[in-house]
Amino acid sequence: MIRFILVQNRQGKTRLEKWYGGYTEQERQKLKAEVHRTVASRDQKHQSNFVEFHNNRIVYRRYAGLFFCFCIDTNDNELSCLEAIHLFVEVLDAYHGNVCELDLVFNFYWVYAVLDEMFLAGEIQETSRSVILARMDQLGNLE
Amino acid sequence: MAPMKGLTVFIADVRKCRSPEEEERRVNKELANIRLKFKEPGLNGYNRKKYVCKLIYMSLLGYDVQFGHREAVELINSAKYSEKQIGYLAVSLLLTEDSGFMRAVVAALRRDVYDANECNACLALSAITNVATREIAETLTEDIVAQLVSSSASMFVKKKAALCLLRLLRRFPEAVNAQQWAARVVPYIGHRDIGVTLSVASLVTALAQQHPDEMRKAVGLAIRRLKSLVADGEHTADYVYYRVPAPWLQVKLLRLLQYFPPPESPEVRAMLAGILRRIIDQSQDAARELQQMNAQYAVLFEAIGLGIHLDAGQGLLQDSAALLGRFITSRETNVRYLGLEAMARLATYIDDVGAIKQYQGVIIQSLRDRDTSVRRRALDLLYSMCDVDSARAIVDELLRHMAIADLALREEMALKVAILTEKFATEYAWYVDVMMRLVSLAGDHMGDEVWHRIVQVILGNEELQLYACRIALQSLRAPVCHESAFKVSVYVLGEFGHLIANAPDCAPIDQLKAVQAKMPAASPAARGVALTAVAKFANLFPEIKTLCLRLLDRFRSALDVELQQRACEYYALATVESEDLLPAVLEEMPPFPERQSALVSRLLAKGGDTEDQRTWVLGTRDTARAQQQQQQPSRPGPEAGQDGTTAAAAADGDGGGDAAQGSSASDDAGEDGQQHQQSPEALALVARGRKHYARLLWESDGILYDGDEVQVGIVAQYKPPAGRVGVFVGNKAAAPICDLVIEARAAASPPGDSSDAPGLEIRLSEAQAPPDSLLPLAQARVFFDAMCSGMFEAPPTLRIAYTLAGAPSELELRLPVTATHFVDPVTIAVSDFFARWEQLGAAGIGEAREVFRTPFLATDGGAGPWLRSVVGGMGFALIQGADPAPDNIVAVGIASTAQAGRFGCLMRVEPKASHGLTRVTVRATNAVLAAAVVANLSTILAER
Repeated sequence: MIRFILVQNRQGKTRLEKWYGGYTEQERQKLKAEVHRTVASRDQKHQSNFVEFHNNRIVYRRYAGLFFCFCIDTNDNELSCLEAIHLFVEVLDAYHGNVCELDLVFNFYWVYAVLDEMFLAGEIQETSRSVILARMDQLGNLE
Repeated sequence: MAPMKGLTVFIADVRKCRSPEEEERRVNKELANIRLKFKEPGLNGYNRKKYVCKLIYMSLLGYDVQFGHREAVELINSAKYSEKQIGYLAVSLLLTEDSGFMRAVVAALRRDVYDANECNACLALSAITNVATREIAETLTEDIVAQLVSSSASMFVKKKAALCLLRLLRRFPEAVNAQQWAARVVPYIGHRDIGVTLSVASLVTALAQQHPDEMRKAVGLAIRRLKSLVADGEHTADYVYYRVPAPWLQVKLLRLLQYFPPPESPEVRAMLAGILRRIIDQSQDAARELQQMNAQYAVLFEAIGLGIHLDAGQGLLQDSAALLGRFITSRETNVRYLGLEAMARLATYIDDVGAIKQYQGVIIQSLRDRDTSVRRRALDLLYSMCDVDSARAIVDELLRHMAIADLALREEMALKVAILTEKFATEYAWYVDVMMRLVSLAGDHMGDEVWHRIVQVILGNEELQLYACRIALQSLRAPVCHESAFKVSVYVLGEFGHLIANAPDCAPIDQLKAVQAKMPAASPAARGVALTAVAKFANLFPEIKTLCLRLLDRFRSALDVELQQRACEYYALATVESEDLLPAVLEEMPPFPERQSALVSRLLAKGGDTEDQRTWVLGTRDTARAQQQQQQPSRPGPEAGQDGTTAAAAADGDGGGDAAQGSSASDDAGEDGQQHQQSPEALALVARGRKHYARLLWESDGILYDGDEVQVGIVAQYKPPAGRVGVFVGNKAAAPICDLVIEARAAASPPGDSSDAPGLEIRLSEAQAPPDSLLPLAQARVFFDAMCSGMFEAPPTLRIAYTLAGAPSELELRLPVTATHFVDPVTIAVSDFFARWEQLGAAGIGEAREVFRTPFLATDGGAGPWLRSVVGGMGFALIQGADPAPDNIVAVGIASTAQAGRFGCLMRVEPKASHGLTRVTVRATNAVLAAAVVANLSTILAER
């Protein structure tokens, strides 16, 4: 299962965090810093999108200045997670053209809503772009 | 949702701040403003939503936001969707589970789950996955199941309900009663909506690991669904991701099937093989984009995993090997990485590694890959593909690589080299050479397990000893001798130096000089080992005894306490006027009893923790091991084992400090390794174990132990003074368990208790022996009959021993059978209670009293009822209304024993929520019983 999801910028500021495992506040702070150190220092061109992290594995992808990092079990399917990240970004892009850090900052509550529509309880929930987009439209129009 | 202008302005303001101090000032100003606004009457919904949003934003920036919880709850209760949505977001981000507002949140959830507006129901279900509490699991599970299987619920509700159940199941497996509803959710794996199927597949995967029998139906449904996706093209365009139909669902279903034994029917197997074949073929299509390739490969790797699990005809496996061979040379780093990982899995299972061996050169190259993630996978693969033919080449390569490997990888590498060498050595000289090279190269990066193991192996194999001595002396004479190499060398010379004493340059005096020359540079721990060796020299070689004594004498004034103690003791032993004492104490060490190599357990401890069970475990090739059993140096013949049995007990406690009965030297060699590896996971396991045990003190059924390999459950029934305890042992690993032994024995009566009073007797029920092997996911059940002859203090011990993938393991657990388990409830009149209470107090036979810290009383409204159910669960009758304070609990029970009679027991529990304390007083006609009740309550409260 997905243990947590972090979206961080190159300076290590966290723009989105979602915790599916039981982590205390201190652990979260520590993990955020560690993930940034682990991921940002990797060579983006020649290295894989997977990196060992404690007893789990981080699957990450960089889009412009943002790192999308999913921490999963070592037993899980890495590529399926990697493409789930891409799908998530595609859905965000559909709204903001080319989604950028500022979009995440100003519309954080909306981004959380999209996340909850795609992932729940650490598992992927919906994988159809059009279903997600239609649903977000419907919910956005509710008062 | 329309954007909130105030929020946007605030975010922009914060972003404009140039320094952290300025930002903090701006945030504090806003916090003060919001506090003020929240106090004003008549705050409208829009503003409340806006302010709560600002609070969320501040908390995301890392500021500690301690208020606004009430407003968040008010938003949840709003009729407007957008307000409810922000309310639930705030609850999941700001509130903790012990918050005082949790009650109100649970009440709202209970209402919203059933809301006619499915959007609201979805919000509630999402929120439950974030704030899952035991109360929700116990009270709402049935409702959530109803939503999942309801014909009127929308697809969105169904998806969320399925994952909500998964969350509750993982968090509170014992509270959700999965047997009740597991069978009802299975059919939804065939649901036409792919989103629903996907979510249900995750749930069913988890259920399949806990209730494989109930879930068997899922196999057929999953195969049919796969076929429709892969072969029949039955899917809507919505779910095609870069020309791959629903890749995520394919992956989930392929994974799910790996949790079941391969289907028995040949037609089904053929159908499955056809599907896998098709997936492999389709992956050959050149992908137009990276996304398409990734999606194809995600499915492909999962299909290969399933193929290995099914052992789907070696033809398919050979093809997979060829395919993977292409992947590991791919230009895409991701593909290389996954190719190596899948190949490692294949190597563990495939009969003929020839197909993999042809890539050995490439794999060794991958140890130098630019990406450390890839290097790690290459190491894993080399470890699992190694067999007796390739061992030399692989071990040499790893040793050569050791010097340049990443520091983080070296320990693992050293462990793997040590295991492989031990397992596949065909020549003793090779084993000794490699291990000495290993400790010299990587000594700084590995724990004591490695050198302990070398000593154990040498001690266990006579043929090894002469050569080992020569090498030991040689390495002591080398200009530089690594710390670990030094320890091994002096240990070996101390034990077996006499074997080479007649060779030129190896006389006792030469050996002693070599040891002595390296001592000044060695660490205190290493010098300790050396002192033991010197004492052994004094015993073996009379001609150098005076020299040895002189050396020991020098250390009698060593600053290091440990060294000083050893020196004093050895010196005293050697100078005592007795002919037999010294030879007896310093006799040659017996071979170590065969047990699991600490190296393997150390390596396994480094494996990851996963929510779903691992579908495979990295290991070395078992088939090769079987062939090599005869030649392995690590396995002393049965004769050797027999020789050692007399002294084995001594060796168990203290590997090298043999002579030192009084010495605290326990780290010299051969410690089990278990004590050394209190890794966080191990500690977590112990902590969980305590929780399970505590629960079983007042509940009759439940889990006692839940490890990575086995799960132990307990079902108990008591008719005091008799009891029947069922022990269920489930195999959670992917490989079969063999040599299973399950036994229970009562604790010995404490020293000083000379009364010989009968206590607990526990024995295997009837003549039914447990099966001695267990397939993956299978369960063994054993019943024990317990008889309480008299009161007893300590619970019996449950011992479970087994061999998994060739590695023996042993578990020792406390079996939750205590004095209070033989208590029956007794009801007495309300007015009688305190009369009896005073009587017992005056008699002064047995009273125990203690005050416990119970901070949860203040925060958890459910604590009172919980305490009552604990007391009831322990076998006491609650006397309602006897105590003037309504929160207090008074209860009566009677314990029955077969020989010592019956003992009455009165209990009074006084919780003080305001102080977070609870006082427990127990008066009984037996002191041991009173103490046992208090002790059990102490355990239960501590683990709450």
